[in-house]
Amino acid sequence: MDRIYAKNHDFVQREVAGECILIPVRRQLTDVNSLYVLNETGAALWRRFDGKKTLHDIILEFLNEFDVTQAQLEKDVASLIEDLLSIHAIQEAGQAQ
Amino acid sequence: MIIGNRLPSIPERYPLCCQWEITCRCNLRCIMCYTDCFNRPEQIRNELTTEAILRIMDELADAGCIELALTGGEPLARPDFFEIYEHAKARGFLVTLLTNGTLITEAVADRLAALPPHRVEVSLHGITERTFDLVTQGSGSFARCMRAIGLLRDRKLPLLLKTTAMTVNKAEVLAIKRYVNGLEGVWYTLGEEMRPTLEGSDAPGLLALSDEELQDLNRQDGELWTEACRNQARPPQPCRSGDRSCHIDAYGQLQLCSGNRRRGYDLRHGSFKDGFYQHLPTFPCPAKAEPNEALIQPSGRHA
Repeated sequence: MDRIYAKNHDFVQREVAGECILIPVRRQLTDVNSLYVLNETGAALWRRFDGKKTLHDIILEFLNEFDVTQAQLEKDVASLIEDLLSIHAIQEAGQAQ
Repeated sequence: MIIGNRLPSIPERYPLCCQWEITCRCNLRCIMCYTDCFNRPEQIRNELTTEAILRIMDELADAGCIELALTGGEPLARPDFFEIYEHAKARGFLVTLLTNGTLITEAVADRLAALPPHRVEVSLHGITERTFDLVTQGSGSFARCMRAIGLLRDRKLPLLLKTTAMTVNKAEVLAIKRYVNGLEGVWYTLGEEMRPTLEGSDAPGLLALSDEELQDLNRQDGELWTEACRNQARPPQPCRSGDRSCHIDAYGQLQLCSGNRRRGYDLRHGSFKDGFYQHLPTFPCPAKAEPNEALIQPSGRHA
């Protein structure tokens, strides 16, 4: 939870029809459906990956704003990190000392 | 967290796709072209400036538009093409580039490959130099177009080649299709529509194939024939232009579609959202369903 992640600038975030989507600008898209739609929690977390905050900071921020248990949130964060790393939308930017 | 790669719900009216004719200028003079009549200095001077295009593009992005087709004329004939293209990519549009291919050099192909388009569509109106250059009225254009196809394929850019069937190239259409079918991963489409020029001349229609000629052509190819039969069997649908798509011309007029420019909303002076939501639905289209027209119209009024 002391890891820090930063967005990959090769992804553009768009708000389309009320949804948060990620579009890779350097990769070829063979299909209009080759974009990534985030759910509400995913979108709110994505916006917080700034290359400075640790996952712990992000979780604390989130717990103050949303009605969610810490256990559930930690599970969601781990799942999102795995998804975003698999499509190279984020990268590890360091670790808190 | 990532819930998929499809937008789960899109409103009935939403500006998802936009075709933008960013210029009518072109290095070729294709004989059936409907925009070439505006490929003149006095018209070109009235086209949108770079600044206006980028501003309108930002408004399109803010409105949620995602698919953007840049067409012309020849989009690459604009000296500021890459400024426009790279801005579109940076704003997260899925950009399709419609081009004649003849201005695609190694450097242009490299620049496209660095920020790959969603798709490049290249017009291929002949498979011999004689026919191709006859259509484009540009000496050497066939060689340049074929070279462009190679450059785009070398860079694995998503490519669609398309032909408009006409009297002057009908003998080569099937050979073009066979050539494209032999190129791995390249799509092909055959168009039949001839549009009057933007000045209203029906001259391009003189090049159109008759229904019999089209049928004869389609019968010679299994895929074309299947498609033609499918289209014939399909009942006519009311036009949906302006619901999730729109067209912008080279002068900043927002229109229902490229084929219907009866009315436009001036994006130089008004906002895209205002034009799309307030004005576009009021524009006339003969192919749209009449709203709840009563079967029996009263012929007189009773006291």
